[in-house]
Amino acid sequence: MAVESAAVMDPAGLKAIGAGLAVGLTGIASGIAEKDIGSAAVGAMAENEALFGKGLILTVIPETIVIFGLVVALLIS
Amino acid sequence: MHLLQRLKKGLHPQKSRSKGHSNYAYTTARVRAMKSKLLPRETYPRLMNMEINQITRFIQEVEYKEDVDELAMTYSGVDLIEHALNRNLAVTFTKILSISEGELNYLISEYLKKYDIWNIKTILRGKYCGASTDEILEAVVSAGRLRYTFLSELAAKPTYEDVIEALSTSEYYSILKEYNGENLSGIENLLDKKYYDDLFQAIGDPKSKDKKLFNKFIRTDIDLKNLVTLFRLKKYGIKDPSMSDLLIEGGLKLKIKEIERMLPLSFEDFLTEIENTPYWEEISDCCSPKMDSLIYVETRLKKLRLKSAESFSHVYPLSIVPIMDYILSKENEVSNLRIIIRGKAVGLSDEEIKNQLVI
Repeated sequence: MAVESAAVMDPAGLKAIGAGLAVGLTGIASGIAEKDIGSAAVGAMAENEALFGKGLILTVIPETIVIFGLVVALLIS
Repeated sequence: MHLLQRLKKGLHPQKSRSKGHSNYAYTTARVRAMKSKLLPRETYPRLMNMEINQITRFIQEVEYKEDVDELAMTYSGVDLIEHALNRNLAVTFTKILSISEGELNYLISEYLKKYDIWNIKTILRGKYCGASTDEILEAVVSAGRLRYTFLSELAAKPTYEDVIEALSTSEYYSILKEYNGENLSGIENLLDKKYYDDLFQAIGDPKSKDKKLFNKFIRTDIDLKNLVTLFRLKKYGIKDPSMSDLLIEGGLKLKIKEIERMLPLSFEDFLTEIENTPYWEEISDCCSPKMDSLIYVETRLKKLRLKSAESFSHVYPLSIVPIMDYILSKENEVSNLRIIIRGKAVGLSDEEIKNQLVI
């Protein structure tokens, strides 16, 4: 009996775990990707303030990864 | 990533040279932004048409403002520019050291040790020929680990023995203590060799591609230095095999044995021999057995150096090589400006100055 109840899980729970993983992992991935770009952008900006706009745009480009994760999470749940 | 690095370090603790996390992205991006502020090559012809005061004003409007402003109280004319250029070089390289971290910082500081050696050499040479403290300080560039205050104290010492005594705690003492007031060139060669030995030791056995590239960069540097030494020796007809002391080991394409084989040759034979090396292509049009001066060849080799550093820097953007490229370009800018002002001060013709410039 105990084995049977463990095998059958509530699909809503699995969906929630999947959605959590989708957002969480993509969040970490964007963080890693943005780390170097962000520090490079700050470095370039320290020398030339006019690079602020370009630096900001380049820094947030990996943000798309987490947005895809969020979209997937929303689709799952 | 860090966990992996730590695990690797744990497995090979004695091989690890990393001293903390390196901030390659920040430093290279900042240094590239600094490189964009270097004087463009069109500036030099314009500077050639200016008087010394106009040049001072011009460099005051660009990156050298602070240096000129600060030193304008003490110096004037050519000396002012000379001191401002040296100060700017020191400030710029110290800045690169202060913004870099970890292994990157370690490698850059090892590379910049050449300025420590340069300064020690300058002070010893100054003492050798009895130059005044001010004259010595004119050539001191405190871009390495030795600070300007310490170097000016050294320059103010009355004799070379006092200078060496003051350096007794430095790593160069083992070489410097052999100096007896006569063998300056031998000591200088030993210092240079120690510099490259230390640098190769710092790089270690290069495993990653960017380290390999840095290694290649340093070895190309050695090749070109040896080539210039060889050209000078051959041009003045020196065939003494003991001159191999002047050569530095570890070149990339010119092995020390090959170079030693060229030492007893005459200038004509040397040129035929050098045709087989990969550097010939760059210098072939300005080399002939009857050439009067080596300026063209040396300028061409310096240009090749800059060009190769630039192309290296594009191979691995997040490595130490773009920083080395900047250091070389900055040194070249300062040396070009110095050529122009010194040339103008002693009344050289525009053509002569132009031949010396590396643009």
